[in-house]
Amino acid sequence: MIKNYFKIAWRNIRKRKSVALINILGLALGFSCAILIFLFIQFHLTFDNFHKDSDRIYRFVSEVHRDHIAYKSTVPPALPNVFKNDYNYAEKVAKIIDRGEQLITVNSGATPQRYKPRTAFVEPDFFRIFNFPLIDKDFSDELTAPNTAIITREMAKKLFGDTSPINQTFIWDNKDTIRVTGVLKDLPKNTLINSRVFISFKTLQTSDRTSWIATESWTGTATSLQCFTLLRLNQDPLKIEQEMKKWPAKYHPEPVSTEDHYKLQPFPDIHFDSRYSNSINIKLLWILGAIGFFLILIACINFINISAAQSVYRSKEVGVRKVLGSFKDQLFRQFLTETFLITLIALIIGFGLSVLFLPFFNNTFNLSLSKNGLINFRFAGFIAILLIGVAILAGSYPGIILARIAPVLALKRKLTQSDTGSSLTRKILVTSQFVISIVLIIAVLVIGKQIKYATSSDLGYDTSTIVMVGLPETLEQAQLNTLKNKIVQSSNIKRVSICFTSPGAQTDGWGTDVNFNGNPKYEKFLIQSKMGDEDYIETFGIQLVAGRNFIKKDSVDEVLVNETFGTKIGINSPEELLGKPIKISDDYIQGRIVGVVKDFYNQDFHGTISPVFIAPAPDLWYNEIGVKINRKNTKEALQHIEQQWTSYFPNFIFEYAFLNDRVTEMYKSEQQFLSLTRLFSFLAIFIDGLGIYGLVSFFVAQKTKEVGIRKVLGGRVIDILGLFFKDFFTLIGIAGLIASPIAWYFMNDWLQHYAYRTQINWWVFALPIGCVLVLTLLIASYKGYRAATANPVKSLRSE
Amino acid sequence: MIKITDLEKYYRTEEVQTVALNKLSFDVREGEFVAIMGPSGCGKSTLLNILGLLDDPDGGSFIFNGIEVSGFNERKRANLRKHNIGFVFQSFNLIDELTVYENVELPLIYTGVKATDRKNRVHEVLEKMQIMHRRNHFPQQLSGGQQQRVAVARAVVNNPKLILADEPTGNLDSSNGNEVMDLLTELNQQGTTIIMVTHSEHDAKFSHRIIRMLDGQKVTENVLV
Repeated sequence: MIKNYFKIAWRNIRKRKSVALINILGLALGFSCAILIFLFIQFHLTFDNFHKDSDRIYRFVSEVHRDHIAYKSTVPPALPNVFKNDYNYAEKVAKIIDRGEQLITVNSGATPQRYKPRTAFVEPDFFRIFNFPLIDKDFSDELTAPNTAIITREMAKKLFGDTSPINQTFIWDNKDTIRVTGVLKDLPKNTLINSRVFISFKTLQTSDRTSWIATESWTGTATSLQCFTLLRLNQDPLKIEQEMKKWPAKYHPEPVSTEDHYKLQPFPDIHFDSRYSNSINIKLLWILGAIGFFLILIACINFINISAAQSVYRSKEVGVRKVLGSFKDQLFRQFLTETFLITLIALIIGFGLSVLFLPFFNNTFNLSLSKNGLINFRFAGFIAILLIGVAILAGSYPGIILARIAPVLALKRKLTQSDTGSSLTRKILVTSQFVISIVLIIAVLVIGKQIKYATSSDLGYDTSTIVMVGLPETLEQAQLNTLKNKIVQSSNIKRVSICFTSPGAQTDGWGTDVNFNGNPKYEKFLIQSKMGDEDYIETFGIQLVAGRNFIKKDSVDEVLVNETFGTKIGINSPEELLGKPIKISDDYIQGRIVGVVKDFYNQDFHGTISPVFIAPAPDLWYNEIGVKINRKNTKEALQHIEQQWTSYFPNFIFEYAFLNDRVTEMYKSEQQFLSLTRLFSFLAIFIDGLGIYGLVSFFVAQKTKEVGIRKVLGGRVIDILGLFFKDFFTLIGIAGLIASPIAWYFMNDWLQHYAYRTQINWWVFALPIGCVLVLTLLIASYKGYRAATANPVKSLRSE
Repeated sequence: MIKITDLEKYYRTEEVQTVALNKLSFDVREGEFVAIMGPSGCGKSTLLNILGLLDDPDGGSFIFNGIEVSGFNERKRANLRKHNIGFVFQSFNLIDELTVYENVELPLIYTGVKATDRKNRVHEVLEKMQIMHRRNHFPQQLSGGQQQRVAVARAVVNNPKLILADEPTGNLDSSNGNEVMDLLTELNQQGTTIIMVTHSEHDAKFSHRIIRMLDGQKVTENVLV
């Protein structure tokens, strides 16, 4: 029986090729997207799931309680030592400092080879907590000594070619010679740890400027020092957290708030905990999953509508089969089998498309999904569910319609429209498709609008003419000044400031405690630091609203603050702030407020403008130069900066970035989400279009006689085209009315994540409805025009 | 074999009720060949649909092989139909997407006959209908006469007790029509009961008895043999 079903299904596909093509193409595109979305979701859901004891691994995190809670994935350097030495909770504890891209030089051959791989400093137990396998060796003596490193296989190949990397050396940051003691298998892409070079923590402790990682220090959490622990068996993390609650009062009473908390974050939660950086909002995965589902739903609706409409052509077969003794359920199964076959073909094509487009998908959306994600039981299960689910979803309704056709009517060709499915059902389904597409387009418009708003608004500082250039560490003041003077000696350079960070263009700055006007207590909020020299505000175009800029001195005793600082303090007049004493981060800076700057967006639009101080760094801890250039001669300006910089630092790699690119970079995840939504909404409309084409084709065939009669009676082409449009117009109108509040609800909710957000204007709703209307008009015109201009004699004769 | 008593069937639209069968009664014995005649709209096809268990009567009794079947649900009717009744239609009603062989095989699939038995049985019937050489062709590749032979082959492949023929020669020329009538006669001689609806006096003469209908009622009954 099944063989018979497949045979007739295949022959029907061949017989009605255009219908099959519309169905298969729509479903294949839906499947292709669903598979890509599956890979995306799987990639994130399997993050770091290969560690053996991941249920016992925790990251220490800090909750800094001030006027609001700041969540930090870092901890004071003393915390891990206390946890390890004074308590018996942990089997292992390890610190890691991810220093980002670091200069690595290999002196092999005539010229030194320089690289900037992502580099972390880790304690030995790090690789005992996590299961990153070493090639050939175990970790018994790795990373215990200073100046040793473990590198990944890919990095070893890059640094040392085919020679064995063990005991080879490289130079870190033109200072320390590091010996390679182990090689790791290449790390998977879906891991939180994405360094390629792991240098022993002791190396950092023995190098310069390590006060910020002093083992007894409890001050500050913005040190990029993270700490992981593998708890002993049967430990209750809540009890441990209760114990850690006492630590702020015990180890660092005032000025730091005793309300700060240290917590244990379960390792599997890290990737999805959006309170901390480097995480992904799990909601995004579900939204993408929902979009994938809706794309398939649109394709299924096409299938249902077209199959139901086409069922009149199958009625004779149904009648004959019933006469020959077929039961309803047998007929239902037959049509389900047919749908299954079409679904299977579409799935195979969809699979092929997704494999084909995976590299493009990865490149376009800056992802790193692998084909390996398609070879596992999870994917097999997903495919099986997709195949069966879609076959049932798409095949059931047409199957029921066909199976219930009365044989007597079918054989006499006396079926009415209601025998081939309710027109109300068809209208509801078509409207649902339009709703989905309109919602998706509205989403694309709102996301795009918000990104544009965030990246093109006046941020209160200049971004378009500023180039940020990195600085090597360990520079002396005199060296910095010489470099600055050399750079500024060009007509293409307008201003230069040596600084720690730019005014904005970052999500996580250094927030610290502040004491104002000698008050007995520190303020209940953190102040964000912007360290820079006396040219900082001029270079970045920050406006003074009161007082003056600080003057270049050997000591730091003059500080600028922003307007929000005054508001937070309760002083609304900037002038009143002038001359008041201010103490920042314990005794790190003690001085007087000499100026108040106009508020600028010191972080992205997710957060509100924070209280900010601007002052020179007492310990000259600068890491960047901000250069205001003449944009008309960008090329020359950049050449000049590079020339000066490389003459000064011949052993380092020159790198720069435009500040406005950094601003855009802050919205990378939004850009990625926008690109994905844009692609999926385009596909949704395309699949919609296929469905409209299929339905209009059917209606045109059905109305041939009516068109002929109307033409004979003097009907104009436009009137006849109206026959095919009017239903769609009404449905699109209804869809617009349904889609607009749904989209408004979700997009308004999405915008609530931003402190500064764009307006959802009326045109955001009108444009998508208009787009769908025009598309439908074009498709219906294409099919309808031929019917409307055909010779009525022919159409009537053919009837 | 068949006994209908006071059989009634109405067709209703929103405003009008049309009587298709009006207290119709007659019997058909096993092995009989009965022709039903009458003008268009007299209820012949409605009667045939009810006799073929494709439609329900609105009143009266229909006893098939000693069993009252008028209250049967669709599943029971389908079951009874596929084991006992073969159909031959004016427009052949072959499935266009299936070959000759597959069309004839279909009733055997629905009655659950095993594949090897099906093959033997289909071959046997196609030989008998002299259409074996066309077994791999599709219906639209055959002439009308050949298509009706295939339809007859399909009707008899399950060895039904009863064949219902609805104007079986209506779409055929006289030569092909006679061939089909000869086939039906032969089947009848081999013991199959045949009820045939026809407009053709010529075809009706092949039967044993002619029932003439008008307005849903039997008006005359002529026994020919």
